[in-house]
Amino acid sequence: MGGVMSYFRGLFGAREMRILILGLDGAGKTTILYRLQVGEVVTTIPTIGFNVEQVEYKNLKFQVWDLGGQTSIRPYWRCYYANTDAIIYVVDSADRDRVGISRQELATMLQEDELQGAVLAVLANKQDIAGCLTETEVYKALGLDALRNRTIQIFKTSASKGEGLDPAMDWLANQLQQKK
Amino acid sequence: MTDSKYFTTTKKGEIFELKNELNSDKKEKKKEAVKKVIASMTVGKDVSALFPDVVNCMQTDNVELKKLVYLYLMNYAKSQPDLAIMAVNTFVKDCEDPNPLIRALAVRTMGCIRVEKITEYLCDPLRRCMKDEDPYVRKTAAVCVAKLHDMNPALVKEQGFVELLNDLLSDANPMVVANAVAALTEMNEQQTVIEVNSQMVNKLLTALNECTEWGQVFILDALAGYTPRDERETQNICERISPRLAHANAAVVLSTVKVLMKLIDMMPADSDFITQLTKKLAPPMVTLLSAEPEIQYVALRNINLIVQKRPDILKQEMKVFFVKYNDPIYVKMEKLDIMIRLAQQNNIAQVLSELKEYATEVDVDFVRKSVRAIGRCAIKVEASSERCVQTLLELIQTKVNYVVQEAVVVIKDIFRKYPNRYESIISALCENLDTLDEPEARASMIWIIGEYAERIDNADELLESFVEGFHDENTQVQLQLLTAVVKLFLKRPGVAQALVQRVLSLATQDSDNPDLRDRGFIYWRLLSADPAAAKNVVLTEKPLISEETDLLEPSLLEQLVCHIGTLASVYHKPPSAFIDPAKAPLRQINPIPAAKFGSSLLDTSSTPNAARNGSAAAPTVIPSQDQVIADLLSLDLNAPAASANTGAFGGAMSGTTSMGGLDDLLGLGGDPMPAAPTNSASYNPFDGLGGLGGAAPAAPPSQQPASIGGLAEIFGSGGFGGSSGITYPKELWLDASKAMGMQVEGTFVRRGGKIFMEMTITNRAMQAISGFALQFNKNSFGLIPVEQVNPAPILPNQSQNYTIACDTTGAVQVTTPLTNLQVAIKNDINAFYFATTVPLLAYFREDGQMEKREFLEEWKSIPEQNEQQFTLQNTHNMNADAICTKLQQNNIHTVARRQVDNQQLLYHSVKYTNNLNVLSELKVNSQTTSITLSLKSKNLMAIANINEVFQALLN
Repeated sequence: MGGVMSYFRGLFGAREMRILILGLDGAGKTTILYRLQVGEVVTTIPTIGFNVEQVEYKNLKFQVWDLGGQTSIRPYWRCYYANTDAIIYVVDSADRDRVGISRQELATMLQEDELQGAVLAVLANKQDIAGCLTETEVYKALGLDALRNRTIQIFKTSASKGEGLDPAMDWLANQLQQKK
Repeated sequence: MTDSKYFTTTKKGEIFELKNELNSDKKEKKKEAVKKVIASMTVGKDVSALFPDVVNCMQTDNVELKKLVYLYLMNYAKSQPDLAIMAVNTFVKDCEDPNPLIRALAVRTMGCIRVEKITEYLCDPLRRCMKDEDPYVRKTAAVCVAKLHDMNPALVKEQGFVELLNDLLSDANPMVVANAVAALTEMNEQQTVIEVNSQMVNKLLTALNECTEWGQVFILDALAGYTPRDERETQNICERISPRLAHANAAVVLSTVKVLMKLIDMMPADSDFITQLTKKLAPPMVTLLSAEPEIQYVALRNINLIVQKRPDILKQEMKVFFVKYNDPIYVKMEKLDIMIRLAQQNNIAQVLSELKEYATEVDVDFVRKSVRAIGRCAIKVEASSERCVQTLLELIQTKVNYVVQEAVVVIKDIFRKYPNRYESIISALCENLDTLDEPEARASMIWIIGEYAERIDNADELLESFVEGFHDENTQVQLQLLTAVVKLFLKRPGVAQALVQRVLSLATQDSDNPDLRDRGFIYWRLLSADPAAAKNVVLTEKPLISEETDLLEPSLLEQLVCHIGTLASVYHKPPSAFIDPAKAPLRQINPIPAAKFGSSLLDTSSTPNAARNGSAAAPTVIPSQDQVIADLLSLDLNAPAASANTGAFGGAMSGTTSMGGLDDLLGLGGDPMPAAPTNSASYNPFDGLGGLGGAAPAAPPSQQPASIGGLAEIFGSGGFGGSSGITYPKELWLDASKAMGMQVEGTFVRRGGKIFMEMTITNRAMQAISGFALQFNKNSFGLIPVEQVNPAPILPNQSQNYTIACDTTGAVQVTTPLTNLQVAIKNDINAFYFATTVPLLAYFREDGQMEKREFLEEWKSIPEQNEQQFTLQNTHNMNADAICTKLQQNNIHTVARRQVDNQQLLYHSVKYTNNLNVLSELKVNSQTTSITLSLKSKNLMAIANINEVFQALLN
């Protein structure tokens, strides 16, 4: 019966899901956003500020916010936390040096009250680059194994090649539908 | 629960509701919410707390919503500078929007957001928009560059926006050209970013005809800043812009006039071309006078300038300046002004009959000005003076109070201009004596009586009636009355002996006004010293007054003509006078060729010359009256009989004005304190001597320069020139920011027995400055410059070094510290003041060496309490020889040396330029680095700071 109900809800799209794409600068957030929206790679410049787009995936409507990842902009992420259903946290798997910073930012973010109910999908991006961290290595480096009380999943992606995004979105869509 | 609950944010209230609505999913609701926010903003509620939420609504495809958000951003970005960065990405995206309106909107909003942190991110989108395919976007971007320049000029240069703007000048769209030139002009006002060149001018001239009217104004204003290379180019520009004179917009017409006025100056004055051009200039200005009164007023204010600069342009158009009955008063007044300026022999009859009519109108101010105008016509056009005087007499017959008073005032001026011609009307004037109640009119009447005292039989009675109420009169009237009575006395000593006594005592004893009192004393002394000389002084032939009394100063006029059509031309003030100096344009449109400027330069430089000669024409620092009196009194110092008659002051006041009076007045000099109880300003020379000279009044300061000069010549060849003396580095005296771009650094040095002021003037303004003149305020040593600064112009960003010889023959006034000096420096823009200190060394005389015996006697004669001790640090461990050499080089003369135990005792003497001695004893101990310095002088004041000089020399 629940299945039927959720089917209807999904059909009418009662509410747009609010998704934040976060991560350090240069991780590939904007590329992922436009890959999701228009399905192709667009040339991007560093995002000073934010991008917001409507994305439809499997009959679900998402309002996806892509926030700039520069140090100067990170403090303002919290202005966007309210009413967030899911977070896509993007990590540059090839940037071994800054994984630590990425871990800190993630930890700080997850402590926010407003994000307690949010689903977290971590994307180990740039898997196409040789010598990058693997999915498991990223998982460990971010300290995800220590997280409790959080729906969480990690995916390996390559936004420029378009690989791995669909599984992630499938998972997200499922999780969000279940939550309702 | 504690009281802290009151401070926790309640999640209620309007702001909270708006916040929720802004974050709503529904677009309509969002838009409504933003509208509410804007509404709150416009009524002044603080909705800055919603900044992030509003910014989040920015990325929308709804143009209306976008505009609203942009509006909010312009208002609040400044209050939330950190958060404003969140908007950058949206701007960048919007600058690439397919809709040109959105692109332009984004670039315009970006320019209005004055937040340092985000400007650098805006350069790329701005650059793209400057090359946009849509002209509307391009012209908006051009204006945005000017805004960016205002915030960060360096960035604009770095990013090459100036070149891009320059490219826009060749744009196919005239609107873009106009905005680009407007942006460049505005940027140039802050600092020169680009010089207008002939290539640019050609582009501008091409765009001019196709522009909107306001675009034309911008282009014309930019053309005004251009100096053509040769006559042909000048003519070409004139020809191409003169059709603009026929434009319906007054601003376009005035801007065209401005450019033409400037260009006319650059062509030979007698060419046919000029004649034709001047003919073209008149009709458009006449046309302006049929517009609304407000525009008429602006036009009239501008015409007033043009008429002063080039009277011939409008000389045929007198009639249009005749006042209409329904003109507003401000228009009437301006028209009157211009009528007088245009009045000439051939139109004077017309003008006079008009003025006569005006004098019977109801508006008091207008009538007064008309009466005054009649007088001015009389002065200006000699042939008409007879008729003018006749008209004035008729007006006096009307007995209308204010008309009579004005008439009296102008008749005084007519008497000055045409002496001994219209005295017949004096009797008519005297009849109206009682009706005069305004100070100016009374003063004028009194002047007339005094001037023609010998022809007015009852002059003494008339003046006496005024003297009755002496203390109730205005200062102006009192001064005139004093002078008039003295004149009467000199002309008819018999009848006025008692009167003059009375007035002099009223002025000197019972008045608190220093001007009045000082003038009284001068007359008194003159009369008592030498009545014949008094006659020569008081009754001397007066110079004729000039025709035009209220002309603007030529340099100001030049400047204002360059600002025709702006607020400056309406105020008749340079823009710097009413614009915040920090924002004032540095570069002014004033590139009149040097040769043409020559005459006005001469004008300005003549003033300081006069001032240097000690005359009363001091334009800046010193009130003229004071100066005269100071000079007069310091003359007395040379008189040996100065202190003869100290007690007789009071007696002379009540006694007769015999020769004894002179002594009485001079008696003041010997006994300054009791005799000059309130008069400190004018008696300062005495105080100065009393303080500095002490018991040595026998040495008049005015004798010094000769002896100094002589010694300098002797010593100069003997290697005594002080070249090894200490020279203090130049210090900043006047900062460019405080002196409209003129930076002054300098110091004082003593060379070859003379004091020189070494000065560097740097021009940090964007235009040449010139016409320098220098003046010192009265100071402790009477230091004055004996040369003037070369008034030749200094070009922008150049410096000029000056060495100005000074001597110490000026007026003395003790300052604390003694070395203080107030300096006024003037250039063609303004006068500036600063205070500095003259190194004390500069005042040490080369010939200050004392004999041992003399030294000993003086040392003994100075009481203990006049001795001061200091401890100096001998950081370089100099030995006694080295110290003596060093001091000797700086005119601290070694008198004697003595060895006592481990100590070297060194005795030195210093002689100031005012002949005051300071004696010193140095105890140098070879074991320690500290030196004990004892200073003695008859006058304690003279010791001040000398210890610092010693210390400086030891370092």
